[in-house]
Amino acid sequence: MSFLFRLPDIGEGLEEAEIVEWLVAPGDVVSRDQALVEVLTDKASSELPSPVAGTVIRLGAAEGDRLTVGEVLIELDDGSEPAEPTDAPDWSTADVVPAPKPTDVVEPGGGVPGRVKAAPSTRKLARDLDVDLNALTGSGPGGRIAAEDVRAASAPAGTAADSADHARPAGDLGRMSPGRHPLRGVRGVVARNMARSWSEVPHIHSMDEIDASMLVDFRRRLRGMDRPGASSVTPLTIAAAAAARALRLFPMVNACIEGSPGESIIVHGSVNLGIAVSTDSGLVVPVVRDADLLDLFDLAGAIADLASRGRDGTLTAADLAGGTFTITNYGSLGGRWATPLIVPGQAAILGLGAIADRPLVVDGEVVARPTLPIVLGADHRLIDGDLSSAFRRAITEDLLEPLRLLVGG
Amino acid sequence: MTAPSDARLRDIFVDMLIARTQAGRLWNLQRQGQVGPVAPLDGHEATIVGAAHALDPEHDWVVPQYREPLGLRRYGPEILERFMLYNLGHPAGGHIPEPIRVLPNQIALATQIPHAVGIAWGMTLRGEPGVALAFFGDGSSSEGDFYEAGNLAGVLGAPVIMLCVNNQWAISTPVHLQTAADSFAAKAAAFGIPGVLVDGNDASAVYDAVDEARSRALAGRGPTLIEATLYRLGAHTTADDPTRYVPAEDLEAARRDDPLLRLRGYLEDRGLWDDGAQEATEVEALELLDRALDRARAEPLAPGSLLDHCYATDTPRLTRQRADLTGGSER
Amino acid sequence: MSGTASDGPGGTSDLTMVQAINETLHAEMERDERVVLLGQDVARNGGVFRATEGLVEKFGDRRVVDMPISEAAIAGATVGLAIAGLVPVAEIQFLGFSYQAMHQLAGQVARLRYRTRSRFEPAITIRAPFGGGVRTPELHSDSLEGQFANIPGLKIAMPATADDAKGLLAASIREPDPVLFLEPLRGYRGIRGPVPDGEHVVPLGVARAARQGDDVVVIAWSYQVELACRAADTLRGEGLSVGVLDLRTLVPLDVEAITEVVCHCGRAVVVQESPETSGFASEIVATIVDECFWSLEAPVVRVSGYDVPYPVGRLEDLYVPDEARIIAAIRRVLDSA
Repeated sequence: MSFLFRLPDIGEGLEEAEIVEWLVAPGDVVSRDQALVEVLTDKASSELPSPVAGTVIRLGAAEGDRLTVGEVLIELDDGSEPAEPTDAPDWSTADVVPAPKPTDVVEPGGGVPGRVKAAPSTRKLARDLDVDLNALTGSGPGGRIAAEDVRAASAPAGTAADSADHARPAGDLGRMSPGRHPLRGVRGVVARNMARSWSEVPHIHSMDEIDASMLVDFRRRLRGMDRPGASSVTPLTIAAAAAARALRLFPMVNACIEGSPGESIIVHGSVNLGIAVSTDSGLVVPVVRDADLLDLFDLAGAIADLASRGRDGTLTAADLAGGTFTITNYGSLGGRWATPLIVPGQAAILGLGAIADRPLVVDGEVVARPTLPIVLGADHRLIDGDLSSAFRRAITEDLLEPLRLLVGG
Repeated sequence: MTAPSDARLRDIFVDMLIARTQAGRLWNLQRQGQVGPVAPLDGHEATIVGAAHALDPEHDWVVPQYREPLGLRRYGPEILERFMLYNLGHPAGGHIPEPIRVLPNQIALATQIPHAVGIAWGMTLRGEPGVALAFFGDGSSSEGDFYEAGNLAGVLGAPVIMLCVNNQWAISTPVHLQTAADSFAAKAAAFGIPGVLVDGNDASAVYDAVDEARSRALAGRGPTLIEATLYRLGAHTTADDPTRYVPAEDLEAARRDDPLLRLRGYLEDRGLWDDGAQEATEVEALELLDRALDRARAEPLAPGSLLDHCYATDTPRLTRQRADLTGGSER
Repeated sequence: MSGTASDGPGGTSDLTMVQAINETLHAEMERDERVVLLGQDVARNGGVFRATEGLVEKFGDRRVVDMPISEAAIAGATVGLAIAGLVPVAEIQFLGFSYQAMHQLAGQVARLRYRTRSRFEPAITIRAPFGGGVRTPELHSDSLEGQFANIPGLKIAMPATADDAKGLLAASIREPDPVLFLEPLRGYRGIRGPVPDGEHVVPLGVARAARQGDDVVVIAWSYQVELACRAADTLRGEGLSVGVLDLRTLVPLDVEAITEVVCHCGRAVVVQESPETSGFASEIVATIVDECFWSLEAPVVRVSGYDVPYPVGRLEDLYVPDEARIIAAIRRVLDSA
């Protein structure tokens, strides 16, 4: 049987050797350990002894040649039976049973069963879009929630109106079982925003109650007109139009303080009115962009559309973004006075109480008139009493004589 | 002082000759790419074997460096079995089974000397009779552990024998560059223990010195530093080329003083040795090694063994790593 | 996660950490005659911190041995003593001086079992104090636990309470593997608490919830657990729910406990006295990424010493993490949104 003696690494990391002198020739009978050849490496000159006894068949290289470790040095016939040529075993790799392929790949990242799985970046996205992760079914490995799942959820719903925890019929208002509940989803978002507003923004609230007779009459007469959008004009609409005009007169109110307690004043370029809408899932504030550029009827139509979509749960993230000033019609739930909190990123909020007949002094006499309580909440870092009064007066003037909104002035 | 009997010297010579013969085959195996790096013990046989024969394998510990295993036949055939596994890079080579009192090879020079001191000390605490003998080289004596262990041994009075095998070379560093002291034995003064200088090529003298040191230790009179002076007749290891730094005439002179030649001559003079015995012993030596090599090659090795024996039981991290490695738990 | 195991009958005693350590050494030497103590000044002096007080008087100078000043010889001797069948408990006077013995600790003690395929049982315990806040000279306070954790074959136990000082030391001495038992200098007399009388063993590898919390967990070990608890208690007054996980042992690491609490909170802070780069906190963060990535709400924040050698006394308070820095880290983690 042919035995191939391949050049070994005899010096701990050598890669080749030069044949200096052959000590045997083809046809020679050699004994085991008999010196076959002298080779020269970087480290030393060495004689290589025969691993087997046998007859030399052929030399693998000539004197002066350089061989790489692993190349055949010499072929010997070791006199044994089987036909296959064999090599001397490589001492450093022989006999280790190859490792079987792992059958059970453990997914990195871990996680505890029961808690929703999502990448930190996905969680941030969910926070930014006000999506409740717990309500979603993930499309990623192991039910992991992917960014696409979050975006898809925010597109139709926007405020996790499909969350089982939060979609409650009106009859369940205020109902919650005793015990500890995680503060998550819409409630969590609201809580964070309220806390931030409360702690970062020093609010001043200034209030006034005005004679709403002209307002009510104006609205009644508009409703009778054959004009698209006329029937949607409400006192809220009129107040919104008045606010949009006032914001153009006093740009400092269409602004916000950045940072806490504050590093810069950002004065917004557009007037984007947020209109607070109460829905089954809670309070949402969709935004009418460039409200000052819309006429009264278009503004009414836009507000009506946002309100209805808010109630349907079909608002998008774009609908909720970019507000510069907010109006909250808290009076629609009843009530005369309130101290609304400013939406983070804004500097003021206008609150409208319920219009109702109340005592008023006209020409020295106490009479019953419809009155409208209004509250202006303002960021006192930016807006002092004189500005807030002036701003409020500007709105009040338009509410007292709504015709001004149609004809300017 | 008890000189070994002629019968004892003949036994010593047999072990020396077997060691030399097997060392030659092991060198060749490395040159054939069949085993890993080898440190030949040519020239060290009288010291290693002489010392081993002065010890009592049932009670005395041998704490080797890495040149000694072939010379420790006195401690049983399993030493060769394990040494062949070691040379094949198999982890079982490190497990020298109970009750054999030999530690596996130590690569970090001199680190084994404090171990020997600890073993010796431990035996006295347990009331066990016995000594621990540490082999180390001239080069090792420059390491801190030599001084720290020697000092501790002296203070404790531990029954330890520190055997410095001075073969004149630490790879290519000759002893006069290793120390400015008169001898390695002289360093015993730093430890407050006796230092003994002995001809390392004289098996009988080494036997004597170790035997005496052993008696001292067992009598509670503490440790001894023995320096056995000899010459490294071969390379430091298979990766070394001594022709670059060993003067040819020194090597020639050393070869004339070969410990095997000396003891063989002595035995032949007494009719205790002849060519027939020489040849038979050499043949037997090679057969023993070949059989041990074959058995070592057949020793199975599973990948999971990579992670075995780091701790008594796997940590959770190792359990996970074991699964990564093998695709399933093995323990 | 569990508190303690193997509690004996009877009550508890109020002990400082060093008293608990001393009591445990007495008990273990009584229980097992193979236990031998070795170190500098451990015998007649009772140890420079009195941790080994009274032992040489009770057990004699063959079992409680004053060693010459050689950390390498101390560490190397434990290898030999273990081979001879004893249970050595060695003291390195300050962890910073373990550098003098590194080649024995890392190359020999840690490898005895692996090299010999369990022919020998390295039941070796190495005790050493470390840690800041006591104005020590150079190399007396360094936290090296992260460096040792990278040496396979060693285990590392770091008690934060007097109770655990007893329980973990008992476990360490009984462990069939080498254990580095690290004692906080500030804790010797600065940490006090109820310690069960009688037999008390806390298994290695089981972390302890020092505080329960839902918003964020602070993972710490040794003296920093005390400071983390103070931070958590301060913040509870603000309505924040901060948990504290006392790892107790770095090797083996209680990965399950870390996973459970960090996945629950989604936010974590890790505190260490060692320099920031490559400290053990890095290993905790990597483990959290392995096990809790999909549950994380914010990046994991480390509170560490700075990447400079341990400073001189007047700068020490700037260097060592304190309650304020832990609180700042907690706030940072909670604000990440």
